Amino acid sequence: MRRRLVALLTFLFILGAHLRSAQQASPLPARPDSLKFAVIGDNGTGDSPQYDVGARMNEARTAFPFEMVIMLGDNMYGRQQPQDFVTKFERPYAALLQAGVLFYATLGNHDSMANRSYPGFHMGGERYYTYAKRNVQFFVLDSNQLDPRQLAWFDGVLKQSSGAWKICYFHHPLYSDGGRHGSNVELRVALEPLLVKYGVNVVFSGHDHIYERTKPQKGITYFINGSSGELRKGDVRPSALTAAYFDQDQAFSLVEVSGNDLFFEARSRIGRTIDAGVIHRQNGN
Amino acid sequence: MTHRAAARFLRIVFDRFLLLPIGAAIALVWANVAPESYFVFAQRSAFAVNEIGMAFFFALVAQEVMEAVMPGGALHSWRRWTLPVVAAAGGMLGAMAVYLGYVHVKYQDALSPAWPIACAIDAAATYYVLKTILPHSGALPFALLVAIVTDAIGLVIVAPRYLTLEAHVGGAALMLIALGLAAAMRVLKVRAFWPYLLICGAFSWFAFYREGLHPAFALIPIVPFLRHEPRQLNLFADPRDDDAVHHAEHEWHRIAQGVLFAFGLVNAGVALSGYDTGSWALLSATIVGRPVGILIAVGLATAAGLHLPRHVGWREVLVVAFATSSGFALALFFATGLLATGPMLAEAKIGVLMSVAGAGIAFGAAWLLKVGRLAH
Repeated sequence: MRRRLVALLTFLFILGAHLRSAQQASPLPARPDSLKFAVIGDNGTGDSPQYDVGARMNEARTAFPFEMVIMLGDNMYGRQQPQDFVTKFERPYAALLQAGVLFYATLGNHDSMANRSYPGFHMGGERYYTYAKRNVQFFVLDSNQLDPRQLAWFDGVLKQSSGAWKICYFHHPLYSDGGRHGSNVELRVALEPLLVKYGVNVVFSGHDHIYERTKPQKGITYFINGSSGELRKGDVRPSALTAAYFDQDQAFSLVEVSGNDLFFEARSRIGRTIDAGVIHRQNGN
Repeated sequence: MTHRAAARFLRIVFDRFLLLPIGAAIALVWANVAPESYFVFAQRSAFAVNEIGMAFFFALVAQEVMEAVMPGGALHSWRRWTLPVVAAAGGMLGAMAVYLGYVHVKYQDALSPAWPIACAIDAAATYYVLKTILPHSGALPFALLVAIVTDAIGLVIVAPRYLTLEAHVGGAALMLIALGLAAAMRVLKVRAFWPYLLICGAFSWFAFYREGLHPAFALIPIVPFLRHEPRQLNLFADPRDDDAVHHAEHEWHRIAQGVLFAFGLVNAGVALSGYDTGSWALLSATIVGRPVGILIAVGLATAAGLHLPRHVGWREVLVVAFATSSGFALALFFATGLLATGPMLAEAKIGVLMSVAGAGIAFGAAWLLKVGRLAH
């Protein structure tokens, strides 16, 4: 009897380990011709968790050679002198920078306006800008202030965009289950009509120091990656909006756009997969 | 009896400019209970209220200030102005220093350009607080002059920083037409106010708008062409409907009250979770920076030989300094003029709403220091 019990427990252990390893195997196909990028937000603390996340990102790159990182704001907390760019950006991501990975930032509420001219953030001195990579066009907004000029610019570039995938990112989330900040409805009322009208597929934001993926809202999936440096443990208040969330440790995301599919995987500071999936793009959207 | 009570209540609401706080209170509740519908409403209504409607309010304020400072008006004597100008400068510097210092210490320099919000004084709130505490003292005109000077400087700073899509040329020509028409009406002895405000005002409004200046101030250049009658210390009160000028002002006053209600409704709604550094910076600047600045400036001025107003001592000056803390209507207006839709504006709005606490501090100080009606 005891032997059978031991055998059963051994079988269950092996099965569990197998299932875990199957879970840990990256769901990202890492196709050679796809666009691969990483996502971080609210990262610029200069503390050890930020360095840990940087190390995990570099490790991930061996199997998933992403070429760029999008930064969702609060790229720099506290003092923002030249030395701080070293301790809060250049050192934590030194291996990635040496490998030629490019970082494209948006401004958060803690970022100095002057940071848009920092060469490492590739903002070209602008508060808002757009750029294209393969079949994806990125739209980067300054959600601190949606002035009429920015909204007119956004409307114009969306109208002209020929990118198959339209990905938008800015600091403050339109949808969020974060307890401290939550959804910014005022921004949503201003931005969502444009996002829907022009068929934006995915929106990334930070600000709430959590990881969250929403169920599609009017056809758009919203990600919050605001815990790549800062963390507000246990802050998520799950709701009907929530598709997945993680608020127990720092996190970053990996994204691959291949044809009509966008694969995503969010990983924790210790490299554990906390969310993964694929978003299919309908033709014309 | 019920009808009479309702009429009395409405009169109090109108006379004390309470439609603005009522609108603001409704907005605050609405924005936190049904935010989606509130912000759709607010964003659709903002231009009509802030850029067009508020022009009538600022013109009315300009008219009342002109009548108060003209010969026979309560604030006519220029000798009275020296100390308030010094106090206003001190209050502005104090508020600005605390605001900028706070955001700098918090490493949020992106909030720095919003410093004029910290300088705004709600003259009506100041007036009613001091009218309650010190109704027959020289402190009341002194405080009003501090508010008028401070806000006039603020308007000059805010007007050119209007967040417009793009400025066009041609505004100067439109302004010349507006002023020419107003001068012609004056020569032709047009007595009614509305042709000035609606015809000349329309040209002036487009002139401001095209030049990238805040169009809410567009009727102010037209006001000097209107007829005026000296005004005593019933500033902000609806005048008696006893002659042509007062009749026009009476109608104008009603419209301005409606505009202020709409202004509160459209602008004061903010998600309370939106408080952040900007909120605390504005609160500190208004309830600490400005009073301290005013006290230091008045202290230096009296040391240099200027005299305090009659029957006003240091305890009264302290109460006046706190009574000017509330920025409310004007600070909200400055905020919407300086900051675009977004979290920074929300932070600022929360700070402005919290600055109303300054009125409570003024009453508390008066009670502790045994000043005016609260002496016993």
